[in-house]
Amino acid sequence: MLKVENLNAGYGSVNILWDVSMELNDGEVVAVLGSNGAGKTTMVRAITGMIRPTSGSIVFNGEELCKKPSRYILDAGIVQVPEGRQLFTEMTVLENLQMGAFSKETKEHFQENLEKCYKWFPKLEERAKQAAGTLSGGEQQMVAVARALIGMPKLLILDEPSLGLAPNIVDDILNVAKTLAKESNISVLLVEQDITKALAAADRGYVIENGHVALSGTADELAANEHVKKAYLGI
Amino acid sequence: MDVLLQAIVNGILLGGFYALMGMGQNIIFGVMKIVNFCHGEMLMVGMYLTYMLYTYAGIDPYLALPLVAIIMFLLGAVIQHTLITPSLKTKSFTNLLFLTVGLGLLLSNGALVLFGSDYKSIRTSYSQTNIMLGPVSVALPKLISFLVLIVVTIALFTFLKYSTTGKQIRAVSQNPVGAEVCGINVRRIYLLTYGLGVALAGIAGCLLTQFYSIYPTAGASFGFRALIVVVVGGLGSIPGAFFAGILLGLLEQMSALFISPSYSDMIVFITFIVILVVRQLLIMRRK
Ligand SMILES: Nc1ncnc2c1ncn2[C@@H]1O[C@H](COP(=O)(O)OP(=O)(O)OP(=O)(O)O)[C@@H](O)[C@H]1O
Ligand SMILES: [Mg+2]
Repeated sequence: MLKVENLNAGYGSVNILWDVSMELNDGEVVAVLGSNGAGKTTMVRAITGMIRPTSGSIVFNGEELCKKPSRYILDAGIVQVPEGRQLFTEMTVLENLQMGAFSKETKEHFQENLEKCYKWFPKLEERAKQAAGTLSGGEQQMVAVARALIGMPKLLILDEPSLGLAPNIVDDILNVAKTLAKESNISVLLVEQDITKALAAADRGYVIENGHVALSGTADELAANEHVKKAYLGI
Repeated sequence: MDVLLQAIVNGILLGGFYALMGMGQNIIFGVMKIVNFCHGEMLMVGMYLTYMLYTYAGIDPYLALPLVAIIMFLLGAVIQHTLITPSLKTKSFTNLLFLTVGLGLLLSNGALVLFGSDYKSIRTSYSQTNIMLGPVSVALPKLISFLVLIVVTIALFTFLKYSTTGKQIRAVSQNPVGAEVCGINVRRIYLLTYGLGVALAGIAGCLLTQFYSIYPTAGASFGFRALIVVVVGGLGSIPGAFFAGILLGLLEQMSALFISPSYSDMIVFITFIVILVVRQLLIMRRK
């Protein structure tokens, strides 16, 4: 459903991503792994149109999305849970979720999607009227994921959902992502530094180093790879 | 005693204008993190606009109010689109400082060229009418202005709290990146915000024509006071701006009564500086 080819992108005159290519199929969870500053978030921004790629192609369900504005890409069905969550901290949880409904269609389905979100994350229903900034880190991450789900994604991109969270909450969130992929046929692009957890949740993965795709393969292959073991898992 | 009551009432009525100006500045600052240094000049433009509508088209100032608000909104939207949004991209505060200060100079000098430096005024049949509130006599236009202020404040508060666009405005002011992730058209929100802020200044200007002379620099002191209102009332808070504006008006009238009218400007600024220093000390103590 998503095919990225020879994507180049960066900030101003500084190029960060070099000929990045990757593929994602329907209902698949694909991990993007790499250390700090490897270019993972830059890749997310380029795919979602938050920065303009300098060259390359991003084909999503047969449509070329490279260099399209972020709003257009959202409409096409690519929704992200951004790095650092980016919630509206002084607005209530419910208001945050309302902001996730960006189109006519998502507004019409808001109520039913909200109920689904509350089913995934019952905590959020209890906290609906509370300011998002007063929630715990884990709850805030749930709000960020729920806000993206309100946007009815076909492809959900999670940028480091584990950042600063307790392991059991990370497991919860990754479980939701995995279940969504299998049951609702939403594809998930999971950007992570926590490689063990990411590979446990993912079907396949790509390893990014210095803005290049260094390795790719199934989750099992990557977990068994000598380079991955040495460089990332410390074994 | 009656003198004191009179001063209190006058202070509240005057403070209403500071509140209106402060709310406009507040919403602009809240969303774009820029200080609109030509806010006072926008009030002046609103005054001349009302003056022209009255003199050339015979439209009563209060009937002109919605028209002035709409024209000022459009003026703000055009300025935002052509000048401010492009220079926001440079992320340079100095650019925007020069831009809004320069715009202010352009507007006040433009008024000077078009209308001359003499004081103009609008005298309607009712502008000298006074109404007795108990022992206090209040000019009818001041009372109407205050009612308009109340309506505008409630409308603005409700709009920001409950409407989708209002929520989007708050979302952009709290987290522009999050807003873009949610597909909020940030440029559109900027346009609306600046238009709204300028329209509020225009409304203040229109109401003010009833008891204040119209001249090219008439807005300057209101522009300064809008900044004070924003700082004292708290960033992004509409009720905060409302009460800070009223307090400022009261302070000014009280100092005019008890000290001297000629010192009221000085006292306003000294109080402002004291508030800033005290707040800074409190913040430092908390850390
Ligand atoms: N807004 C920006 N302007 C300029 N350079 C940036 C910007 N954001 C990131 N960079 C640079 O791009 C490179 C890649 O950053 P990126 O955020 O994509 O890394 P990452 O893989 O997501 O890292 P992390 O795991 O720490 O989130 C880094 O060298 C960073 O300094
Ligand atoms: Mg990152």
